[in-house]
Parts: sequence; C-alpha cells; structure tokens
Amino acid sequence: MSELGGLISAHAVGLASDMAIMSMLALSAYLMLLVGRVSFGQQAFFGLGAYAAGVMSVMFQAPLALALAGGAACGALCSWLLALPTLRLSGLHYAVATLAFGEMARIALGGWHWQRPGPDGPVGPAGIEGFRDIRWLLENDVSPGEYLGLTLLVLVAVLALLMRLERLRLGVGLRMIGQDDMLAAAQGIACDRLRLLTAAMAGGLAGLGGGLYAHRTTYIEPAVFDPMLGVHAVGYALLGGLGTAFGPLLGVMLDLGLLDASRLFPGWRMVIFGGLVALFLRWRPRGLLDETLVHHLSHTFHTRSPFSNRQ
Amino acid sequence: MKMKSAIRRPFATGLMVTLLGVACLQAQAHSPASGSGKPQVELKCVSYGKGPMLDCVVDVKRAEGTPLDGAQLMLGAMMPSMPMAHTIKPMKAAPTGAPGQYKATLELEMLGVWAVDVDISGPLREKVSRNLLVHECKGNDRCAATPAKPGDMGPMRHGTGHRH
Repeated sequence: MSELGGLISAHAVGLASDMAIMSMLALSAYLMLLVGRVSFGQQAFFGLGAYAAGVMSVMFQAPLALALAGGAACGALCSWLLALPTLRLSGLHYAVATLAFGEMARIALGGWHWQRPGPDGPVGPAGIEGFRDIRWLLENDVSPGEYLGLTLLVLVAVLALLMRLERLRLGVGLRMIGQDDMLAAAQGIACDRLRLLTAAMAGGLAGLGGGLYAHRTTYIEPAVFDPMLGVHAVGYALLGGLGTAFGPLLGVMLDLGLLDASRLFPGWRMVIFGGLVALFLRWRPRGLLDETLVHHLSHTFHTRSPFSNRQ
Repeated sequence: MKMKSAIRRPFATGLMVTLLGVACLQAQAHSPASGSGKPQVELKCVSYGKGPMLDCVVDVKRAEGTPLDGAQLMLGAMMPSMPMAHTIKPMKAAPTGAPGQYKATLELEMLGVWAVDVDISGPLREKVSRNLLVHECKGNDRCAATPAKPGDMGPMRHGTGHRH
C-alpha cells in the first residue's frame, strides 16, 4: 500500500513539476498575447534559458539561484533583441518571424559544441547530442519534492508580480496596446517601449522556466525545444483565458492535469486539445477566463478588477 | 529616421553587452575537480503488443564496476519532441535476482521516439535518460527498442540515441 502511495506521489510530483514549469512558458506566451502578439517562438527563449542556466551551473559552478537568474537574463536579452527588428511586424508576419527565430535558435543550439573535461568525461553543450550532466539536484541531494516546492514558490512569485502589474497603469497600457495600438498611442502610451519591455519580460519568464526545466531533468537537447512546445504555450494561454494571469495556468491544468493525467482519452488527447482550442477560438476567442468573466467575478466577490473604472 | 536610430542604438548596445558577457563567461570557465563516482547504467528495452508495452531491463554498477543492489529505481518515459506534455506514469523497477539488475514494464501511448528515464535512489542518487525508437511489432513478436538516431523524430528534427 505504501509502495503504491510512493508511486502515486512520485507521479504526482513529476506531473506537478511539469505543470508548474509549463505554466511559466504559458505565462510568457500570455504576456505577448496581451500586447496583441502571437508568438510561436517562446520555446526558443525557454531553450536558451535552459542552456544558459545549465552552462552557469555545470561549467561555472554557479549556485542555483544565480544560474536561474542567468537563464532568465539570457531569455530576456534574446527576446528583447528579437523584438527590436520585429517591432513593426504584426499578425501573421510576426507569428512567422517568431517561428523562424525559434527554429533558427533550435538548429543553432544543435551546432553548439562547448565542452570541458569533467570528473566523468566532458561536460557542456555537445550539439545535437544535447547538454547532459546538469547534476545540481543530484550533487546537492535535493529531492524531486523539494525541487517542486522551489518551482511552485517561483511560480507564485511570478503570478503575484503579474497580478500586481495588471493593476498598475503599466498593465492597463499593455491591454490597451493589445486591443488597439493606434488608440493607445493616441492616449499617449509609448507602444514601442512597452512592447519591447513586454518582450523582455516574456523572454525572461520563458528563460526562467527553461532553467528550472534543465535542472529538473538533468539533461537538455535541441529536440526538446520544438515548435510544438511554443504552440502549446500559446494554446494554453488562449484556452485558459487572457483576462487574468490565472488563465494560462487553467489552460495547463486542463490539458496536463485533466486530459493527460486522467488518461480519459488515450491516444486522442492531442486531437481533443486541438479541437478545444479551435472551438474556443470560434466561440470564446479570449479564453475561459476572459476579461468580461474576470470583471463579473471581481464584482461578485467585491474585489477590485483590473478592468473596473479607476481614478 | 529618428525611430530607426532609436531602434539601432539599443540593438547595437544589447549585442555588444551579449558578446562581452559571453566572452567573460568563456574566459572564466573552469574544469570541475575529478572523481565524482557516477554509476554506470545500461538500459535495454523490448516492445510488444498494443499500446505498445515496453519491457525494460536496467543493469546498474557502481563507479568501480561492482553491481549496485538494494537501490530504488523508477522508470518513466516522455516524448522528447513534446516535453512535459507527453509523459507516461513512472513505474517502480523490481530486482530480477541477477546482481545489480532491475526490470519494469511501461505502457506507452504510441510508437516513435521515447526518452526513457531511469531515476535511481537509495544507496546513491542518479538520473539517466536514453532516447529509444520504439518500432511497430507484428503479432506476438517482441522487438528491441533501438537507440534513436538524428532524423528519427521526423524531418528537420534532431534526436540523439544516447543521453545521460
């Protein structure tokens, strides 16, 4: 019985860790969607962040916090650099540009060899063979449960920051840009500057998620940062809703927590998930937790909605 | 013109900072001390039936080459092209009776490349992953899952056969 309990808990810990890390990527796609940008390249920043965190941890013996910060900084910088030349693009053109960058980054990681001798052989990125031996958790005897605790802590901190941001003028400005950038500009909002800032924040979030992923799995390889990862991140944000930062988490919970974990539709899960996204795009384009529902919920529970009139 | 220069300047600055950062990191990289005592793990799997099912045998040896008994092994699998979103429930591996040997059966959802993870705990901790290509088996046949090669995951994809 206790064996079964242990097995379930190992599965639950793994699933919860996956959901928390995937939520970071979904939140990153959500941020881009807020400013009206559909990005299919967030997986690239996730991958670059994972490699950067891995390099810092394995090759420079950096502490985990510093390695994760490095991953986030790398994701933020790369995303900001991509946002500069794509600032004038929108819609399909922007989506294709980000997809192309995602593939460019993945293929570039496949060609990146930078290895140093380690205690049990060479360590570091080895092209398409990937980057193995990111052993921080094993060397520091951190259990999967403890690492899940850390991951959840980071996710809660990120959520708290995003919820705070949505109540500030900055958050309102981001939504205005997403709805109508010309109108937002006419209201005196610096659209370009806010879009660059959002891209950097989204890239940083994806990079942070990548760093957490690299240390959880102990290995990464370019194949992991496939466009499907980015497509799922956008799908989770669209499914869960764009009305609040909890929306993408709801999307992740619906797919990974309900459809995948329950094994309700073995072999058909991806078809059902894709169908759900298509249905939502038709009938509820801003997702389950859209702005209207969030406003109604806030009104019902007497909390201040980010969409209510402000002084 | 003004906007163009406003974009170019931060772009150039950002690029310079990136290059400078990478150069500094490259210069500071060092080699870790030797002798961590990592165990040797050998994984062999065969697939059969609907699902398909995957029977895996794991041989674990300590760094010095002696078989590792009394360890707890969990075997799990995920599709590398869909990390986190396509995983299967991990199974506990049972000792076969042979020194340092354990076995477990995984129920996969489809054919293709799967990254099989071996999570070792107990006397020591280790995590190993191998990319295996699970083929279709006719009738009651049992087919060996072979190490995946680049290209096994489809066009323009890079997979590896041997990961740690």
